[in-house]
Amino acid sequence: MKAEGYSAMHEFWGNLRSIPNHVYRAVFRGGPPKTDRTRSSFIFGNVFLHLHSVRTHLWSLRWSTTMGLGIMTTAAFLITLVTGILLMFYYKPYTDVAYQSIKDIHFIVPTGRLIRNIHRWAANLMVVAVILHMARAFYTASYRKPREFNWFIGWGLLVTTLGLSFTGYLLPWDQLAYWAITIGANIAQSPREITDAIGITSWFDIGGLQREILLGSDRVGAEALIRFYLLHVMLLPLMLAGLMAVHFWRIRKDGGLAKPEHADERVIDEAKEFYPVFTDVPNKTYHLAAVVKGKTPQVGSGPEHTVPSMPHLFYAELGVLMLTTLICVGLAFMSDAPLKELANPMVPENPAKAPWYFLGLQEIVSFSAFMGGIGIPMLCIVGLGLIPFLDREKKGTGEWFGGPGGWKLVKWSMVFGFGVSIAVEAFAIRFGWLREWLPDIPQMIITFVNPGTVITLCFAIYSIWSVRRYNSTRAGALALFTCFLCGFIVLTVIGTYFRGPNWNFYWSPADWGGH
Amino acid sequence: MNKNKYLLMVSSIGVFLLLAIAAVSENFLKEWQGIQSNARSTEGPIGIRLRQINNPSLNETDRCVTCHVGMAPGEQIVSRQKVAAAHKPVVHSPTEMGCTVCHGGQGQATEKEDAHGTVHFWTEPMLPAKYAYASCGTCHTPLNVPNLPTLTAARKTFERLDCYACHRVDGRGGTLRPGGNVTGMEGPDLSHVGLKGYNPDWYTAHLERSRQSDGAWKSVFGEISDEDRASLKIFLDIQMGAPRLIEAKAQFNTLGCAGCHAVGSFGGDAGVNLSLSGFKDPNQLNFANVSGERTLSNWIVQHFRSPASAVAGSQMPALGLSDEQIDLLTLYTLSLRRRSLPDIYLPKDRVKAMRFGSREFASDGETIYTAVCTSCHGNNGQGTRWAGLSPNPSITSPDFLALASDDFLFQTIKAGRPGRPMLPWGDRENGFNADEIRSLVAYIRKLGGNIQAEPDSRPRIWATGDPNIGAALFASNCSGCHGTTGGGGEGPALGNKAFLANVTDTYLTGTITRGRRGTIMQGFSYPSPIRRVLTPAEIEAIVVYLRTLNAK
Repeated sequence: MKAEGYSAMHEFWGNLRSIPNHVYRAVFRGGPPKTDRTRSSFIFGNVFLHLHSVRTHLWSLRWSTTMGLGIMTTAAFLITLVTGILLMFYYKPYTDVAYQSIKDIHFIVPTGRLIRNIHRWAANLMVVAVILHMARAFYTASYRKPREFNWFIGWGLLVTTLGLSFTGYLLPWDQLAYWAITIGANIAQSPREITDAIGITSWFDIGGLQREILLGSDRVGAEALIRFYLLHVMLLPLMLAGLMAVHFWRIRKDGGLAKPEHADERVIDEAKEFYPVFTDVPNKTYHLAAVVKGKTPQVGSGPEHTVPSMPHLFYAELGVLMLTTLICVGLAFMSDAPLKELANPMVPENPAKAPWYFLGLQEIVSFSAFMGGIGIPMLCIVGLGLIPFLDREKKGTGEWFGGPGGWKLVKWSMVFGFGVSIAVEAFAIRFGWLREWLPDIPQMIITFVNPGTVITLCFAIYSIWSVRRYNSTRAGALALFTCFLCGFIVLTVIGTYFRGPNWNFYWSPADWGGH
Repeated sequence: MNKNKYLLMVSSIGVFLLLAIAAVSENFLKEWQGIQSNARSTEGPIGIRLRQINNPSLNETDRCVTCHVGMAPGEQIVSRQKVAAAHKPVVHSPTEMGCTVCHGGQGQATEKEDAHGTVHFWTEPMLPAKYAYASCGTCHTPLNVPNLPTLTAARKTFERLDCYACHRVDGRGGTLRPGGNVTGMEGPDLSHVGLKGYNPDWYTAHLERSRQSDGAWKSVFGEISDEDRASLKIFLDIQMGAPRLIEAKAQFNTLGCAGCHAVGSFGGDAGVNLSLSGFKDPNQLNFANVSGERTLSNWIVQHFRSPASAVAGSQMPALGLSDEQIDLLTLYTLSLRRRSLPDIYLPKDRVKAMRFGSREFASDGETIYTAVCTSCHGNNGQGTRWAGLSPNPSITSPDFLALASDDFLFQTIKAGRPGRPMLPWGDRENGFNADEIRSLVAYIRKLGGNIQAEPDSRPRIWATGDPNIGAALFASNCSGCHGTTGGGGEGPALGNKAFLANVTDTYLTGTITRGRRGTIMQGFSYPSPIRRVLTPAEIEAIVVYLRTLNAK
């Protein structure tokens, strides 16, 4: 039944006139986020934003808490995503045209060079940021209960990030790419060292299988390119996006960022700047939120030391996003992404080097393929994954270098870590290793006794000593993780700057010479 | 929390500024846009856009013509910018073949540094103008190139017989008479007859014509001696429009380089294979001792001056070359840049060299000798001694030639000396055929003053005696130079299987008896203050002992 005097035409004209208004309300359903209530609904009414909690603890907003590293990693990913999609418009993943298409992007696609440079720098920045982010999470002891699972996810994100970067390395199909991937594939083949040594390669060739799965062929060719392309533009980004969603969601579910015990008292000065602006009566209680396990900032400690995520958290996040963009664009202006000559299987690069983040591995691979390629990396990956279960102490959570030993232990661990890895490397470079002294020595012995394993063993012994010295598992973890980082840095730097043709030691690439 | 706001504001402004700068500079401030906006064609300003020459079968996309816009297809640039000038007329049209196939550099680039290939990540910069002819080697393989003296003589013959009066070669000669071809005096341009071929009966035809006609023909053309005609043939066969490259290759064929280095499927293996040495990556080379820019050509020049200063531990001796020789050899080395080509672009000479193993050097005895043997056996076969390497024997010693039969020389060249620097030049891939070896033997005789081997009616092996006595005598008299078991040292390796399988007892006894003049090997039948004279029986015993080395 229509009301008396109702005119559909009239209403139609009215609807037409108010389209802008209605569209605005349909998009911004909660009205302008002027009050705490509308700000809250702005967040939980939005599928993307509701990964954030509605209110954020002031401690989390301190620059020193996270240094923005997680957001920086995310930002770098978003930048690679945008620039990567732009590059996909021109890139052709076939061996006969891939290189030319990159050259075209470089030379004639308007701003193509800049886009590619940004993509490259963002990708490198992402690797750096993800490692630093891991270090931050470790040093602030943020992996502890209930965040063990999120540490796991983060570990997966680290591996996926390296995978993304590595698969992208091949796509330009230049000499640099070709030989870096050849090295990478040979690292995948390294279990052969063991199977060869015990003579079972002919029927159990796990190394060869790994390499073949990676390349889709027995050499780096068209199959490898299309495979890497698919991984790079689809599978790995999807996997990364999925893991990121879980990672962020877990932060919220695990009660926000890890905070020290007395975080509330320590942010009192900052809290004075903020007053709740509940001008409307909240029509939503927080009781539902209390169903969620764990200490959420909303339930556990009341709203005094929290501020609405909109806009305070978003300022911080967008700020880091734009800062990351600025860094990437700035670097892109200063330095071009490398593109050497067309890939040529007949002319090996000497030295052929893997991407920089694998050069530490390549350095120990040069001593023993199996230990460098599989043994020690597995040890590191498993060790990193298990950290939350090996250290279940409570003390120091949320504090930089928190826990027994603290900064002093980290400092001495740095001295030890740098010292041992430099000393062992220097020894091996100066005096050679077993093969040079005893040419007939079985490979098995070198597999287990080489500079890589010696460094690893020293680190392990030092950490166990630290556990006993401070009577704390956290102290052992601090020592081990610090040593791991130092070893990673030393080996990577040596692999990058001091290894020349035939993987010989050189003080400077200027001395490489060659024929 | 305001600092987050400021962070956001400042970095956003920074990003915006950088992107704005990029948008402007990438779209409006390119160097080529400036060049094109200044260029004028006959119809006024030209359209400002990217230009390129695309040749899919050569896999080339050359955007050089974006700046060198006068060379772009269909452009008639009249303004006087050097960069926009038109290409001078050449055999291969740049609008079809593109630019980089000859000049090198990076065709896809649109900026000067990148395009000229002087950037770090482009390893193959443009060829310097001085060595421009080297680029012919990208596709062509000049065949049958004589050595430099022969080439010079052939050029002189062509000049002396005044062929330039009617014929034009590489832009020289063929004087145009008023009225063009009216007088019928102009001969065809001979610049490319080596590739395109010419009438082999030209001489008879010319002579006929000169006999039949009056006037100019009669007075200009006369009989030519056989020797001169042979010389002219050499000259004509190598005309491919690249005189400097031919000269460079002739230089290569004069210094015996192929004795150690292979090019294509032929050459020695003591040195590196040179087939692609025009493509070396400068980033992989040692420039510590190279003056000037870090270019491949500068490195090659330094390498020829002093090989060890460019390649640490190089075995190649410093050859003491003149600047002109170095220049030619550098050009030739740069020309070794064969790339794979689609069939339609394969020149005949390349097909012959690649598929049929045609010789890149002329196959007369003299050229073979200078192309392959000179570096070890010397210009006149006198032998050489390079610092740090074992001495190479003289092969024109009269004592040697008097004892070495043609067959011995033939077999030695064919089978070589396994394990010694002397390669089996006949018994190897693309090795010499019998005719070539025979002409080489004849040339060696000629070098040695035409000394023929003394007739020898005895069987190859006739010496008799006690090998134990021979062994003792060898140990006390011979082993100092020839090694305790004939492995060689200062003197040749007498225990070498190929040597013993070929040599006659007459040769061995004769050499021991008479020695080799001018060497430390004195005849053992002559009295000497430092050793005793050997009797014929003792010499035979030594020969018998030497024969036993074969089995070892």
